[in-house]
Amino acid sequence: MSTSTKVAPFGSQIVAETLLEAMTEDERIIVLGEDVARLGGVFGATRKLHAQFGSERVLDTPISETAFIGAAIGAAQAGLRPVVELMFVDFLGVCFDQIVNQMAKHRYMSGGRVTVPLVLRTAVGCIGAAAQHSQVLSASFAHIPGLKVAFPASPGDLRGLLLTALADPDPVVFLEHKWLLKTRADSQPWHEDEPLAVEPVEFGRLRRLRDGGDITIVAAGYMVQLAYLAAQELAGEGIEAGVIDLRTLVPLDREGLVHEAASAPTLLVVDDDYADYGMSGEIIASIAEALGPEAPRMRRHAVDVPIPANKALEELVVPSPTSIAEAARAALGCG
Amino acid sequence: MTFDCTVRSCTVSSLNPLRTYQTMVTMRIYEEAVGAAVETGEVHGEMHLGIGQEAVAAALAAALRPEDAIVSTHRPHLHALAHGVDPVAMLAELLERDGLSRGKGGHMHLFAPERNFMCTGIVGAGAPIAAGYALALRGTGAVAVAVAGDGAMNQGAVLETLNLAALWNLPMVFLVEDNGYGISVRREDASAGVLAERGGSFGIPGATCDGTDPQAVLDALEPAFARARGGEGPAVVVAEVYRFRGHYEGDADQYRSPEEKASWMGEDRDPVHRQRALLVAQGTDASDIEAAETAAAATVGGWLAAARALPMPDPARVREDVIA
Repeated sequence: MSTSTKVAPFGSQIVAETLLEAMTEDERIIVLGEDVARLGGVFGATRKLHAQFGSERVLDTPISETAFIGAAIGAAQAGLRPVVELMFVDFLGVCFDQIVNQMAKHRYMSGGRVTVPLVLRTAVGCIGAAAQHSQVLSASFAHIPGLKVAFPASPGDLRGLLLTALADPDPVVFLEHKWLLKTRADSQPWHEDEPLAVEPVEFGRLRRLRDGGDITIVAAGYMVQLAYLAAQELAGEGIEAGVIDLRTLVPLDREGLVHEAASAPTLLVVDDDYADYGMSGEIIASIAEALGPEAPRMRRHAVDVPIPANKALEELVVPSPTSIAEAARAALGCG
Repeated sequence: MTFDCTVRSCTVSSLNPLRTYQTMVTMRIYEEAVGAAVETGEVHGEMHLGIGQEAVAAALAAALRPEDAIVSTHRPHLHALAHGVDPVAMLAELLERDGLSRGKGGHMHLFAPERNFMCTGIVGAGAPIAAGYALALRGTGAVAVAVAGDGAMNQGAVLETLNLAALWNLPMVFLVEDNGYGISVRREDASAGVLAERGGSFGIPGATCDGTDPQAVLDALEPAFARARGGEGPAVVVAEVYRFRGHYEGDADQYRSPEEKASWMGEDRDPVHRQRALLVAQGTDASDIEAAETAAAATVGGWLAAARALPMPDPARVREDVIA
């Protein structure tokens, strides 16, 4: 926990201040999306940018995701560095062509002659808004060759990974978990440095947040925080759970995963995206391919149906510290 | 290398008929050569040729400046030539050699960043990207051209972009090559209303022109480009053309009647023949016309030889260029 006496900023403020700082340094950065200018974003992650930089660089768009995400691609190819906001990741369906067929493929289809340096920021995860406003869809992006996918788990990584994304030559999908945006920077269950002082965080390098010889819990985004809470709960029962934060899904630190997988005989992958054909399967397959029979016993705990509206039903579907701890116990055969 | 398709006369808004003819013949022979390569198997994939649509490209060449951007379609070769994309590198890419995109793009995915040229194989998807070029170019006097077919005008991407372009006063020209068909579906069975009026409710002016007459196309493009360069916002230009080939090479093309084809592809309406007839009517020496034809054939012959001399793509690089 932070020892600072002043009130810690919200995650959304960290994003906004990081963008403000980057835009001050790099005039090529523009921000566009629905409600990003006058309102400062529905989650507040672009606050003060319009006041600072005006309508030339901070553009409210019509509700036309295909048009403005496509425009971000063209602008990137013409030399700007757009930061384009897809308000909820669930809106992916109306603009997927620009993402899957255009921004992801231009580098490859041009034989490396064209790059698309843009950041697609989007809010993910469940805050009680049912099936069309609670998804994560991280694997849907990560599945497509040509996209990088960053998934910060903490306030410091909101800044550190964003700084790296803003300097990256490729399109980076930047997944901002809504709880991370809406909670204060000192609320994560482990100690971190002052988030606004964080330096760029390298893509493709996972981090271990907690050691544990009984089980390793692997997660990304906000699920890392819940996994950490679950590990603390398990520690009270004498179960030592390690916690791994992937930080980026693409590039995925497969080497690091294989290394970390050897630290405990059991491994659990937690994901608030869908289980089928998803991140959890990818991680388990990567470890199994590398380690064969030496691989740990592996299980997954992820979402398997659309997110229901009713709170009690939602809690049965979306991973929580309690459900993660239960899944860990089950994986260890002590459920 | 750049194709010299200087087609203007000394007067700004009129084309030099002989230069224009040579440009159009060059484009025709270029596409015929690509078609022949499909026949021989040198090209193994899908191929969409622009034969019959040369007048639009010739006029486009006159309207464009090197700093302008174009986002073209699945039928892109002539627009690329018009904008000075390296014809040999492009031909090599079409012939599946180590060309413009190292064999990874192919004919529907040509990229020439030095000319802000690209195209996309997804119908209508280029319009938003052209808007992005226009956003980045705004205030410089440069223009971004979104090329679309008549079929693309019903895509949400294009309709959304018309709004965005007008809203943001973008320096854009929406160039619609209306060849009357979206594969087999006739324009009148797919598109309600008048295509040139699609932008009307956004305040975007539109014009329709005879796309078989390069001067008529230029007469329609000039005010659209002038408006965009002057910061007055986008315009729509619809050029009525006919594709002489099927939708793709190998298309049985039984959805268009022989009578209809004959009415468009006869010497009186074939844009290349028509341009030649104009030269004859103007009293151009037959030897000058012949010289233009010979030069065009020699030019394309040279490009073909140069393209075929390039190696095949390096298999060792197939996994490169996905991300940095």
